[in-house]
Amino acid sequence: MNTIIRTKGLCKSYHQKAAVKDLDLTVEQGSIYGFLGPNGAGKSTTMKMLLGLAKPSAGAIQIFGKTMNAKNRISILGNTGSLIESPSYYGHLTGEENLKLLASMKQVPEAQVEEVLSVVHLNGAKDKKATYYSFGMKQRLGLAGALLGNPSLLLLDEPTNGLDPAGIQEMRSLICTLPQRFGMTVLVSSHLLSEIDQMATHVGILDQGELLFQDSLSALHESSRPNLRIHTTNDKKASLIFKQMGFAPSYENQSLVLDSLSDARLFEVGKQLYAQEIGILRIAEDEASLEDIFLKLTGRSLS
Amino acid sequence: MLLSCIKNENRKLHHSVIWLACVFIPIIPAVMGTGNYQMNLEILHDGWYSLWTQFSLFYSLFFFPPMIGLYAAYLWRLEHFNHNWNTLMTMPVPEIDICLSKLFVLCKVAVITQIWMMILFFLCGKYIGLPGGIPIDMIFWSLRGTLAAFAIGSCQLFLSMVIRSFAIPIGIALGGGIVGMLLTAMNSSYGFFWPYALMFMGMNANKSANVLSGTMAAYLISNVFFFVLFLGIVLFILKKKDCK
Repeated sequence: MNTIIRTKGLCKSYHQKAAVKDLDLTVEQGSIYGFLGPNGAGKSTTMKMLLGLAKPSAGAIQIFGKTMNAKNRISILGNTGSLIESPSYYGHLTGEENLKLLASMKQVPEAQVEEVLSVVHLNGAKDKKATYYSFGMKQRLGLAGALLGNPSLLLLDEPTNGLDPAGIQEMRSLICTLPQRFGMTVLVSSHLLSEIDQMATHVGILDQGELLFQDSLSALHESSRPNLRIHTTNDKKASLIFKQMGFAPSYENQSLVLDSLSDARLFEVGKQLYAQEIGILRIAEDEASLEDIFLKLTGRSLS
Repeated sequence: MLLSCIKNENRKLHHSVIWLACVFIPIIPAVMGTGNYQMNLEILHDGWYSLWTQFSLFYSLFFFPPMIGLYAAYLWRLEHFNHNWNTLMTMPVPEIDICLSKLFVLCKVAVITQIWMMILFFLCGKYIGLPGGIPIDMIFWSLRGTLAAFAIGSCQLFLSMVIRSFAIPIGIALGGGIVGMLLTAMNSSYGFFWPYALMFMGMNANKSANVLSGTMAAYLISNVFFFVLFLGIVLFILKKKDCK
């Protein structure tokens, strides 16, 4: 698998205050990389550095195997689409005119404007001035612009910010289809844990400019070790049996909670309970939320 | 690529208010200048030349530099608004094409303004009954003034790029013109070191004899110098500074 983005020791300081510290980012081809962190964690700054909008204070960026510098800037940007901060548009021009401007800068045939308009469902409003668009439409117009030219890499900074619930759902499902449909690699940032959970294949967690975690989404969930909840016909007696077996069960919401355990150990538990004629009524794994994971990694919860 | 960028800058001016400014603002100095001429007929006997002294005074001192400032402010305002900077600077386009295309369009509108000013000058002259056509001297002076418009345009493009406010750079242009007038009043050669002074030196404002006879080379060098200097600064900022 090819690495599309690789940063090494990437740093950015503003007025001697570090916004991004020593970032080693790795984004693999075809992945949807969820860039997660609270507001002000340095996500936008990092994305701006990847696009050359902000100059790194230290460290290096490689995109498509090429170092991001003045020489390679244009060839990298030519294959990258982006939506940074709020949507950008010229209000006095129509949606279609806005996209035609971008098409000509990207040297993409104007016919593609129609295609991207239909991908984001804006055909009906293409002749309306962008200033009269709703926020959601502006955001979709921004995405359409980013999709022009079928770039290999898409950088989306908080693309669902400010959208209504239907808009959020639409944007998410649209993003999820991009890798298969167009073969794109997507780097999408969000401060919402659930959102990344729904979209991403890989996760990078950023807090106060530092990367705390970076791996596949499933690795993140595995590392979070789900608890096991068991409700039996006699929880009191079962609790004693568990203690004898070396567990430290707690009792919450009318069920016993055990730390995660292997299949073999669970089989043992079942046998012991059966031997003591205790019936298992309910058994469930507590999926740890990303919120819990974040808490574990940072020692503090998200605001 | 430069051509597409220029085409794009032109497209951005579609349905734009910049054309209203270009058409209506020059009418004000035309009316003021012509009115002033009419009121001082007892001391102004030189026909077209006398009308030019009045016309060019208001136009090149108080109106044209702020108008160029307004055009430049408008061109960058498009990018300052709605995060367009981010999009513009992530396009696969060399930075120099971005500044050259802006400057080209700015100069284009400035030339159109100058042509419109000369049409107004002709119409005003005819309206008050001056004989014949515009003397060739004035055509030459307005061409010279257009060069200064390019130098000021380059300077205003720099100011409006770094100052997000719409009005402040226009105010600087107005103040710049007035300071330029004071400078040249102190010593006529000081004007070569101040871009805003070049405008009314080139336009021969308020004068009927050529103020640049013998110093035309200095005038040209000064224009080219300021034009290239500010263009260079704009390019440097686009290349080296973070996009705000």
